Amino acid sequence: MLGIKNVKVETIADGTIEAGGIVIRDGKIAEVGREVDLSGCARVIDGRGRVVTPGLIDAHTHVGLSESGVGSAGRDTNEDTHPLTPGLSVRDGINMQDQAFESFRRAGITAAGVFPGSGNILGGTALALKCRGMIVDEAVLKDPVGMKAALGENPKACYGARQQSPATRMGSAALLRGALQRAEDYLAKVSLGKGEVPGDRDGIREALVPVIKGEQPLIIHAHRHDDILTALRICGEFGIKCMLHHVTDGHLVKDIIKREKISCAVGPTLHYGSKLENKDRDFRTPVVFHREGIPFCLITDHPVVDGRNLLLTASIATQWGLPDQAALRAVTLSAAEHLGIEDRVGSIAIGKDADLVLWSANPLEFTTFADMTIIDGEIVYERGVL
Amino acid sequence: MLVVKGAKIYPVTGEVLEDGMMRIDAQGKISQIGRSIPLEVGDQVLDFTGKVIIPGLVDAHTHVGMWGDGEGRAGYDGNESVRSITGEVRALDAVNPRQISFTGAREGGITTVQILPGSGNPIGGLGLACKTWGSVIDEMLVKNPSGLKGATGENPKRAHGQAQKQAPATRMAVASMIRTYFEDAKVYGEKKEQAQAEGRPFETDLNLESGLMVLAKQIPFRVHAHRHDDIVTAIRICEEFDIDYTIEHCTDGHLIAEYLGRKQITAMVGPGLSASGKVETAAMTDENPAILARHGVKVCLMTDHPFLNCRYFLQYAAIAHKHGLSFADTLQAITINPAQALGIEDRVGSLEAGKDADFVVLGGEPFSYKGAVLETYIEGRLVWQREIY
Repeated sequence: MLGIKNVKVETIADGTIEAGGIVIRDGKIAEVGREVDLSGCARVIDGRGRVVTPGLIDAHTHVGLSESGVGSAGRDTNEDTHPLTPGLSVRDGINMQDQAFESFRRAGITAAGVFPGSGNILGGTALALKCRGMIVDEAVLKDPVGMKAALGENPKACYGARQQSPATRMGSAALLRGALQRAEDYLAKVSLGKGEVPGDRDGIREALVPVIKGEQPLIIHAHRHDDILTALRICGEFGIKCMLHHVTDGHLVKDIIKREKISCAVGPTLHYGSKLENKDRDFRTPVVFHREGIPFCLITDHPVVDGRNLLLTASIATQWGLPDQAALRAVTLSAAEHLGIEDRVGSIAIGKDADLVLWSANPLEFTTFADMTIIDGEIVYERGVL
Repeated sequence: MLVVKGAKIYPVTGEVLEDGMMRIDAQGKISQIGRSIPLEVGDQVLDFTGKVIIPGLVDAHTHVGMWGDGEGRAGYDGNESVRSITGEVRALDAVNPRQISFTGAREGGITTVQILPGSGNPIGGLGLACKTWGSVIDEMLVKNPSGLKGATGENPKRAHGQAQKQAPATRMAVASMIRTYFEDAKVYGEKKEQAQAEGRPFETDLNLESGLMVLAKQIPFRVHAHRHDDIVTAIRICEEFDIDYTIEHCTDGHLIAEYLGRKQITAMVGPGLSASGKVETAAMTDENPAILARHGVKVCLMTDHPFLNCRYFLQYAAIAHKHGLSFADTLQAITINPAQALGIEDRVGSLEAGKDADFVVLGGEPFSYKGAVLETYIEGRLVWQREIY
C-alpha cells in the first residue's frame, strides 16, 4: 500500500480538497479525503503542500506510431496504399520503446488515445493505453475505442495527387458512404444467414460491422466547418455513433454539434495554420464549446504538437477565458469520457485506477513540474525532489 | 504625446520600475522612461495600473510571412530547393505582410522578427529583420540583409541527395559545398577588385555577392545545425574563412556546451516545445538554453515559426525558465540578446530613451500563465489587443 499525505487534491469530479491525502491499494484508489488512514501503508509520500491531480490523458496522439528521434524508420502512422483500411489496428504498430512515452510520463500524462493517421478515409481502429511497460497488450485500457475516419484535405492530398480517388471532398464522402453501405448490406445478409458464402467475406465490410451495429463509434478527423457537417450527415444517414476530432471550425457550427450531442477532441491548437482547412485554428473553439456545454477535451495530436505540451495547452486556453477547473477537466476526465474509459481513469475517486501526478505547484502554472507520476499505484517517474 | 503609466516595467537593460512611466514622442520613440515623468498639457495618458510592461519581443529566427501559414501550398515560399547553392535569393521577395503569421507574432508580443530562407540548401539566401506591423515589407524593414542563411545536417541531404539524387547526399558534401562557395566568393571578390582597379567591365554574380558580404563581415553567416558534430563543422568552416556567424537551432549544444562557451558563440535556440521528428534532434531537451547560458553562450530563444507557432514564444520562454534559465537571462534571450545578434540593438530589444517604443502589456508577471499578452505596441501604435472569447 502506498499513501500520500499533505497534498491539495484536485479530484476533478468532486471538487478540491485543500489539504488531504490518498491511500492506494492494489493499484486502485482506496481512500481520498481530508483524513485518510495511512497506518497500513508500506510507504507514505509527504507531499509538503504539493498538488495532486489525476494522471493527464491525451485523447488523440500517434505515440509509438510516429516515433520521436528516429526519423522515417519509426513512422507507422498512415498505411497510405489504399484509402480504405478499416481492418488495421494501431495495436500492431505501437512501439512501447518510443522515447515519447518517457517524455509523457515526465509531463504527467498517464494514458493516451492512439490513432492511425488521417491519410485514409478509413484508417483502422484506435485504442486507449496506459503510458507504461514494454508490452502493448498489457498497456491497453480499451481497444478499440472506435474506427478512425478522415475527411478534408489529407485524404485528397494523399490520393488525388496520384490520380486516385479521393481527389475531391465529394469523392471522400462517396468512399465513406459506399463502405458503410456495403457493410450495412453485408450485415443484413449475415443476419439472414446468407453471409457465410465463399467470396463474400472481405476485410472492409467485416471491420465496419461493429460501427454499423453501434458497438464502435466512427471517430472522424474534420477541421473545416463543411467537413464537420459532412461527417454528421453521413453518420446520421446510417444511424451510427459519431465523434469528432480536431474540430477546428467547430465554433462556426456549434449549434448542430450541440444538438447532436457530439463529443469533440479539439486541437492541436498550438500548431500553426498548416493547411487551408485549419487556417482559423484558435482557442476560440474550446472556449465556445465550454460556454455552450458541448463535451470536449484538448489534444496535442502528438507529434504534431509534442505531447509534453498537453497541460501547457490547457493553461494557454485559460488566457482566452476557459476557467481553470474546466481547463484541468479538459485534459483529464473529459478525455477519459471521450474515450469511454472514465470508469477506470480521469478523476480521483475511490475504486478508480491510481493514476496520479504530484505537481510542484499549481499545475496550470507554466513553470510547475510534475514531481512524481504514478500509474496503477506504481511510481513510473520521479523528479527526485520528494 | 503619449505617456504610459502605472505598470511595473522591465526595461531589461535598466533596473525594474515598480510603478514606471514612459513618454513616447511623435516619431514613435521613447523620449523618457523612469519612475516619475511630469505630465504636460495635451498628454494622452495610458494607465496600465496593475499590469506589467516588457519590451517588444525579438524573434531572431522565423519564416513569418513565407511558409504558407493559413494559406496552404500556394503561400509556401520557404526553400528554393531546385538548386543547392542559392546565395542570390532573398526572403525580402517572398514575405507576405498580410499573412496570419504576422497577426500571430503581434499576439505573441513579438514586434521584431528575423525572416530567413529555409534550411534545404547548404547556402540558402539572404534574410531580413523587420517589424511585425505594416502592409509593405520594404517599409517594415529594420535591417536588410540581416545575414546569409546556411544549413548543415539532414535537411540539405534530404532535399537534394534523397529527393533529387544530386549533391549534397552526405554531410561531407554539405561541408564541401559551403567551403567551395566561400572559396569561390573570395576569388570572385579578388577578380572584381582587380577589374574595378583597372576600370574593366565586370559581370556581377548575385549568388557570390552574398558570400562576399559575409567575407567582408558586413553580414553574418547564419548556420542551421542541430547535431553536435554539425555544430562543430559549422564553427570549423566559419573559422577557416574568419567570418561572423550564429548557430541556428543548436539542439545538441548541451552535449558540447563547454566547447561552445569557449568559442563565445551566439546561438539561436529553438524551436521550443517541439517534437523530435528527426534523428538529428533525438537528444533534444528543454534544458538546452539553460545549459548553454551557464557555459557562456549568448542564448537567443527563437520559434522558427511555423515550427513553433510564434503566438507561443513567451510560453516557450517560460518553459526555458522552468528548466533552469534564470529570469533575467530568459527575458534577455527574447529581447536584447536577439537584438544584439541582429545588430539592431540601437532601435529595439530594451526600453530606453531614444529607442523605438515597441512594448508589450502583460496581465501579470512574464512566464506566468496569468501574464498573458494583453496589448502589443509598435512605435507607440497599438497593433494587437486581446479579446476574451
